[in-house]
Amino acid sequence: MTLPTTDEIILEAQHVAKWFPTQDQRLNLFSDLNLRVHTGQTLAIVGRSGAGKSTLLSLLAGLDQPSEGQIYLAGHQLATLDDRTRADLRARQISFIFQSFHLLPELTALDNVRLALEIRGDRHADEQARHWLSEVGLGNRMQHYPAQLSGGEQQRVAIARAFATQPALLFADEPTGNLDEETGHQIIEQLFDLNTRENTTLILITHDPELAARCQRCVTLHAGQLHEATA
Amino acid sequence: MKGFRLLLLHQISSQLRTTEWRALLFATWIAIALATLLALLGDRLERGLLRESAAMLGADLTLSSQRPIRNERLEHAQQAGLEHTQVIQFPSMIHVGDEMMLVSVRAAESPYPLRGEIRTRPEQPHAQPPAGEVWVESRILSQLELSPGDQITLGYAELRIGAEMLSSPDRGSGFRSFSPQLVMHQDDLEATGILAPGSRAEFRLLVAGDQSSLELLEQAWRDSLQGDERLFSLHTDQPMTGAALGSALGYLKLTALIALLLAALTIFLSLRRFSQGQHKRCALLLSLGLNGSDLIKLYLCQLLLAWGTLSLLGTLTGVLLEQLILTWLNELLPQALPTPVLWRYFSGTAMGFALLILLGLPPILQLSRISVSSLFRDEILGSDTRAQLIQFSCFILLAAALLTFLEAPLAALTLLVLILVGGALFGWIAQQLLRLLAAPLGRKLLLGRLLTLRLRQQKRWHRLQAGVVILLMTLLSLVWISRTDLLADWQTQIPEDTPNYFVVNIQPWQTEPLQHFLSEQQISSQLYPMVRGRITTLNGAPIHEQLNPQQLEHNTLNRELNLSWSDQPPAHNPVTAGRWWDSDSDDAEISVEQEMAEELGLVPGDRLGFDLGGLTLEARISNLRQVEWTSFQPNFYVIFNAAALEQMPATFITSFRLTPEQESIATQLLREFPSLTLIDIGQLLQQIATWMERLGDSSALILALTLLCGALLMLLTLRQALEQRRYESALLQTLGASAAQTQRLDLLELLLLGAVCGFLAVMTAEGTLALLYLYLLQLPPKLHPLMWGLLPLASTLFFTLSGAVLRRQLTLPQCYRLLRSA
Repeated sequence: MTLPTTDEIILEAQHVAKWFPTQDQRLNLFSDLNLRVHTGQTLAIVGRSGAGKSTLLSLLAGLDQPSEGQIYLAGHQLATLDDRTRADLRARQISFIFQSFHLLPELTALDNVRLALEIRGDRHADEQARHWLSEVGLGNRMQHYPAQLSGGEQQRVAIARAFATQPALLFADEPTGNLDEETGHQIIEQLFDLNTRENTTLILITHDPELAARCQRCVTLHAGQLHEATA
Repeated sequence: MKGFRLLLLHQISSQLRTTEWRALLFATWIAIALATLLALLGDRLERGLLRESAAMLGADLTLSSQRPIRNERLEHAQQAGLEHTQVIQFPSMIHVGDEMMLVSVRAAESPYPLRGEIRTRPEQPHAQPPAGEVWVESRILSQLELSPGDQITLGYAELRIGAEMLSSPDRGSGFRSFSPQLVMHQDDLEATGILAPGSRAEFRLLVAGDQSSLELLEQAWRDSLQGDERLFSLHTDQPMTGAALGSALGYLKLTALIALLLAALTIFLSLRRFSQGQHKRCALLLSLGLNGSDLIKLYLCQLLLAWGTLSLLGTLTGVLLEQLILTWLNELLPQALPTPVLWRYFSGTAMGFALLILLGLPPILQLSRISVSSLFRDEILGSDTRAQLIQFSCFILLAAALLTFLEAPLAALTLLVLILVGGALFGWIAQQLLRLLAAPLGRKLLLGRLLTLRLRQQKRWHRLQAGVVILLMTLLSLVWISRTDLLADWQTQIPEDTPNYFVVNIQPWQTEPLQHFLSEQQISSQLYPMVRGRITTLNGAPIHEQLNPQQLEHNTLNRELNLSWSDQPPAHNPVTAGRWWDSDSDDAEISVEQEMAEELGLVPGDRLGFDLGGLTLEARISNLRQVEWTSFQPNFYVIFNAAALEQMPATFITSFRLTPEQESIATQLLREFPSLTLIDIGQLLQQIATWMERLGDSSALILALTLLCGALLMLLTLRQALEQRRYESALLQTLGASAAQTQRLDLLELLLLGAVCGFLAVMTAEGTLALLYLYLLQLPPKLHPLMWGLLPLASTLFFTLSGAVLRRQLTLPQCYRLLRSA
């Protein structure tokens, strides 16, 4: 399967290091880490538990600051952005899919998707949310609350929420971790299908080799260094 | 076993750090303290004033009448071989120099009392004051700056104060039992010249002796009780003192119901959240080898230990609070109260047990159903029918325990339903108002649109918070306004020239010199004749056969009425139907008070029959009159034409106003007419006001505990809500909102919630006050502008400030970590 990519670099990490101060020394999670991702690419980050995959993802998404080095996202040097601009960048360029779905329990599926659109001030939030819920096959479950949906359906709402804002970059953190194998497989299909159609750049963290194999690129975080394997 | 104990201790010490467990402990502590306080106070007041009726009555059986005791009654008591004695009680002013004081005088024959004893300081060799001597309560001594050995003037008699009366039985019924009391020997009564035929006094026949003879006599008297007579015995009726204090206690208990409910709600919510937080721990313990019943035992032991410790603390607090309230009430209580019955000390402990165990059992049973697999994945324990049934049964048992504890099941149940329905209704209205307010914001602002979603998401929390806050603030405002404005409003609406003195027991031969005295002092007043009589027939047939049960309950049909006569309608009583009679009319005609006529269905032309001390008289209703009962003028339900009544023996009544500068006239009047009974309305109102104030202080203390419970509940739920908001805030920030936006969203939500709650509390308080003004004080309702400003402000400040203090802003890395760990 050929995925559309461009030469445009949407995400670049240069000499990134992250350490945490402990009582008498510092704990180095990784250092001198470099990564370049082109628009439309799919990238899997794999590694052992505790290797720092999630921390790396939070740095790449601008949710955390590196101890050293620079990260450029859609042409912006993240370290130079103020809180407001960074929030705006998240609202317009980035989306997340989590292992635990993270839907607000008191809101319907429709309102959960609308929420993301409302944050970016979308004037057609309701229309867009309906469209994306239909896209993920939940056109008839819009008014259902998360507790009334199965795990797979909840993750599809989360996917609809992620794609509804038409992000340039989609970060997925163990998106099938809470699902059984068959449902997980269906979710993967849907995710990649939408990714291809929308030409979104997808960066995902996973332990699942099958899922990692679906990505164009796969990097392993080991001993604080990224090792890229040929897909 | 040792391992179990270690596990239990470790569990308790670690859970002491959680908010839920702390809130639960605190709420239980307050509930136990409150229940102990009420049980002890209630027991002492009830046993002191109700249950120790023998000592209260001063006898085993008391016959009370507004007329001198009939000879046949005395003969009955004598024939039954029972000990008996007579007491006459009446209000009168005593004076010492220029100082005067309204007191309740008891003139008793010997022996007196028949049961219980009069305790005095210094102790006296006699059971009652000998002739020439009076025993008085401390209030009289302190107000008139007297001490034993001093002389006082009562009517024409000079009497010596023999002792200070510390406590005494047979205080009488009605408000007179609260007035400062003076006991004298009946041998001195004639010398005072106060009582004459027709004087206002209560005559009592006290009887004591063998139980079986007493029962026979009581039955015989009950069967032949006359309209002016009442019977008080150990087992049936209680004196009014007890009834009044019983009502006051009932009021305090109902106030406490709200606090107990709030405590129960806090405990319930804390336990629910606490047990939700225990799922993983239970699964872990199961995986380590414990079974379901071990888990039940573990958590039950934890609850029981908490209950034991809090019982001790709560009971101690309750005892201290009870002492505080008794200190406030001490000088007003008629006599020293008995020590509480031992088991009453355990009432709070029992209430604590009911609250903790009945509310705690269902979640604990739920915990035992956890499976080890929930260690690996999130499992939501479904609430099956059995669990729901257990929970429902526990709620019912708890409600029953509460109602039993309050000893007024019907009133408590009504209040319980009102609170629950009111709270739910207020919550729903508040939620709708919030939606209405957020809608226009949502059309214009991004924050408004997020707020709309937030309101949808937090609707349950908003309902609960609003319901509790509105109820509490309304209650607080009502107590506050009642204590400050209500009485003042009522007093200020009394016109300047309203009489402040009543003179009763004026004999016919005193009317002319009294009028002369008053006109010399340039005091305008009108004397009204008074005859006592009872309504017996309507249009020739017994009245009880013609009215429905509700009408037969009417105040005017179950007692003797003060009847008057006049050829002119009273200036302050406009005629509303029919016409006033001609002064030369010879037929018996009457004018009836309008409301009484409406309630009994009487119209001009009807004929009413009266029993006037054995004489019967029938008269035609000529007209209806409107009477302003709060005018402090002598007012009558029924006024006859002069021709019908003027031949009857009567006493006269009048009222007038003395300015503070004229107060010496009252002393002069009593010097010239010592046998008249002068009643200072100011002193009477002052006595009532003091009681109201002390009762207000006691209810304010309970209200303070209620507010504490309410504040605890609100802070607990607010804290829980803010914890949930941390998660939402993390999600919103990850989805693209800035930290400032999430902060503004939280504050806007809390600000609107506070304002809406304050506004609704004002509306509810004003509505309730309007009803009180209209129906209790019969005044036009008025707005309380200060409350309109203060309540919304206080409510808004409470929500926003506690939100600002309890809210913790998340940094972006924290947001992501929180979402990953959730």
